[in-house]
Amino acid sequence: MTFYIIRRLLLLPLTLLGISILVFLMIGLLSPYQRLATFINSPERLKGADIDKLVEFYGLNDPLPLQYGRWLKNIFQGNLGWSYVGKEPVYDALVERFPYTLELALFSIFPILFLGINLGVISAVNHNRPLDHGLRIFSVVGWSFPDFVFGLFILMIFYSVLGWFPPGNLSLWAEEVVKSSAFRSFTGMTTIDALLNGRLDIFWDAFLHLIGPVLTLTYVQFAFILRITRSSMLEVLQKDYVRTARAKGLDERVVINKHARRNALIPVATVSGQTIIGLLAGAVIVETIFNRTGIGSFMSLAAQQLDYASIMGGTLFFGLILVLGNLIVDISYAFIDPRVRLE
Amino acid sequence: MNRETRRIFRRLWSNASAILGFALLIFFVVVAVFAPFIAPPPSGRDPYIMPIVTWSSNPLPPSPEHPFGVAGKRDIFYGVVWGTRTAFRVGIIVTLISTALGLLIGSVAGYFGRLWDEVLMRITDIFMAIPFLVAAMVLTTILGTGLDKVMIAMTAFSWMGPARLIRGNILQVKEEQFVLAAKALGVRDFSIILRHILPNTIFPVLIQASMRMGSLVITAAALSFLGVGAPQGYADWGALLNYARNWMLGGQGEALKYWYMTVFPGLAMVLFVLAWNLVGDTLRDAFDPRLRL
Amino acid sequence: MEENNLLLQVQDLKVYFYTEEKEELKAVDGVSFYLREGETIALVGESGCGKSVTSLAILRLIDSDGKIQGGRIILGGKDLLSLSEKEMREIRGRDISMIFQEPSSALNPVYTIGDQIMEAIILHQKLSPPQARKAAEEVLRLVGIPEAQKRLDEYPHELSGGMKQRAMIAMALSCRPKVLIADEPTTSLDVTIQAQILELIEKLQQQLNMGVILITHDLGVVAGMAERVVVMYAGKVVEEGSRRDIFHNPSHPYTWGLLHSIPRLDVKQEKLAIIPGVVPDPLNFPSGCRFRNRCPLEDEVCLTEPQWCEIEDQHYVYCHHYSQIEILKTRGFSQ
Repeated sequence: MTFYIIRRLLLLPLTLLGISILVFLMIGLLSPYQRLATFINSPERLKGADIDKLVEFYGLNDPLPLQYGRWLKNIFQGNLGWSYVGKEPVYDALVERFPYTLELALFSIFPILFLGINLGVISAVNHNRPLDHGLRIFSVVGWSFPDFVFGLFILMIFYSVLGWFPPGNLSLWAEEVVKSSAFRSFTGMTTIDALLNGRLDIFWDAFLHLIGPVLTLTYVQFAFILRITRSSMLEVLQKDYVRTARAKGLDERVVINKHARRNALIPVATVSGQTIIGLLAGAVIVETIFNRTGIGSFMSLAAQQLDYASIMGGTLFFGLILVLGNLIVDISYAFIDPRVRLE
Repeated sequence: MNRETRRIFRRLWSNASAILGFALLIFFVVVAVFAPFIAPPPSGRDPYIMPIVTWSSNPLPPSPEHPFGVAGKRDIFYGVVWGTRTAFRVGIIVTLISTALGLLIGSVAGYFGRLWDEVLMRITDIFMAIPFLVAAMVLTTILGTGLDKVMIAMTAFSWMGPARLIRGNILQVKEEQFVLAAKALGVRDFSIILRHILPNTIFPVLIQASMRMGSLVITAAALSFLGVGAPQGYADWGALLNYARNWMLGGQGEALKYWYMTVFPGLAMVLFVLAWNLVGDTLRDAFDPRLRL
Repeated sequence: MEENNLLLQVQDLKVYFYTEEKEELKAVDGVSFYLREGETIALVGESGCGKSVTSLAILRLIDSDGKIQGGRIILGGKDLLSLSEKEMREIRGRDISMIFQEPSSALNPVYTIGDQIMEAIILHQKLSPPQARKAAEEVLRLVGIPEAQKRLDEYPHELSGGMKQRAMIAMALSCRPKVLIADEPTTSLDVTIQAQILELIEKLQQQLNMGVILITHDLGVVAGMAERVVVMYAGKVVEEGSRRDIFHNPSHPYTWGLLHSIPRLDVKQEKLAIIPGVVPDPLNFPSGCRFRNRCPLEDEVCLTEPQWCEIEDQHYVYCHHYSQIEILKTRGFSQ
């Protein structure tokens, strides 16, 4: 087990290096002047300076491998350029916004997995009964719903009509409290910080603002998990060891929830990486629609305003998160399936 | 419920979903083909640019003249109809090219194995390490806006699925007797791949392609929705929804007033994607017995 | 038949399966046999003859597309088919246990051997987990697994095929059942391991005084172990008798064919018999005797159902022409 994790950890920098090359190749498509933005992390540097000289100073006309080396060195020093959208260095902008996106992802991942897995099992156990058909329709529709369409519908219904879940991060009064010095920030995630500060009213306000985006991400993503769980569960239920479990005299509930489900989760674990991708990509859309702070809305804003430094920094960051997320998936996979641990 | 009704129910479901899928698809094909008759474009203009029908930037609700209403000075009905063409164009072109690309890369990796396989698969991993939407968004931004740029960007980041699929299949088929026999007879590698291996792996690839159509169209529309895809005024469902976005946050009660801005293009998108997903499901059930459930 | 030491009785068991088109598939059609205490019987037949379905029916573990349509299965004076599902669960694993053909797929890959054995012990003997662990270790020793303590914490994939089957047997015997059903327990194993496993089953059968139902297509296995043999063909029992009766005086043409289709060293054989044709389609069994279209003794009488005949003490046969079986000895299966 430890060996397995260590091996995964050793592979990590290699993948990250690959991602950095890919991102740099995309930067290479830009003109040297556009590329300059990814190097300079303060607008002061540009004031009154001769752009051509700066381009030369940073060697932006040099051969690409040379530039890559310099760029990589820059990144290791935390210098990702200046963000016009954020009006601060890209690195700071990312670090500042990450907790918001993480909070959204954490609030979404549990309902996605919980609903997807449980409904998938229920669907499989009731194979071809009305309940199964109902869940299949529900999931194929969810799977076909683009997140931005679903998000707009949610906004229309739950905000416009019912007035329950407002867009944004927080109500104005709560925003003031959170920004005041009396409110201590521990994690950057408002709900958790509110609890740590003992402000239940703030927690509730932040929670209400999270429901719309979480609903959107959940419905679109859980359908995928449901489909995988259902089909793998149907396969597992045919397996000999399920019959063995029944032959032991175990209750059907135990047979399904202990013996069958754990095995059915193996394929689910392998595709959970997809869910992380879905959550990150979903954050771009959902944060934009619901007007929330986060890496996602930062990226989409940067893309609209051609803020190359922010886009590239954000992409690298997304790559990093995804690789780490996949590491977690791999480890959880090894927990579920003992056969993997040996490899 | 007795066996008989259950069986009928099952038959009905599998047929119903297949019928619904194909019916929707045919409907969209008809709309796309007859777009010039359903929503005639003003003469002498690019029909893909939605004509400006009003001077006020305020949205207008559905009326006899504009059955789906007006958004961003443009007729939503016109945009939905011509957007069907855009959706097909983007979906089909990106699917075809990325599948072909994936086929090539996957075949080389799977058939030649060893170093080829190792290097190509690591590159595949890296391409998959950036969320598709983000990668497509970034590359589009760098290449500049325009539907062609969107398609290039999406193609660049969507060949990995078919590549991995075809590689896996080739690794399996490679050990089959008829391939070994062809090899023993001295048939050239290229013809072995072309004549013996690809025909045996093509169905899963086609099924996967039809199932990918939906998500590709969603991503293209999402880019337009975010304002980095199709240019201003282009007939695209995502672009239409982009008009709606700003009016949705107006305040409580406001958004419902503008329901038509979201509902019509949104419904078109959902049904289009649903059609492909149902067709993909049907094809998979029909051709891939392992996945048939 | 002495009623006092009867352990399990299967009477006129009928298990039908249904296809999607609602066709009826009579996989087991009126099967009867019995098992005495401490006795080993063998259910023999080609694949598809209904022997595995019979054994699953005894535990009431038929898949949802099949149904037990008639008969009685009597254990300890109770008809298992009349029990509630909950009462039946208490029988499974405690009174009747089963081991399967493929140990690598019959053991759950994600739980340790210990977990899987302890599960049944905790369920039926109501022991605490530490006690159950001790019991599990003991039963692993019983089936001859070395380093039992260590094996408890291993996963199925860490064991060899033979070890897996031993673990499977340990699991089945953990609650000291009265009846053990072994469904082709050695088919998937290496030849050298096969003998060891059979020897183990035989040893434990004597040690624990269980009744064993051995299901096999391999008459070699039967010759070594079973006291009585029940031969099945196309969902019906065609012949039943002691091992001696079956091997030395087979009276059903099918049994005769089975016996003479395997090479034997102890009997002088002119040539190996080959039973012509294939097992009939279960959706389309011939009327009357189901073996008739493959049988050299077939005539118009065979269009009617044969009767059960006791031709010697405890030797039954289901054939119109058992008295003419001698013909096969000279003519073989060639017609």
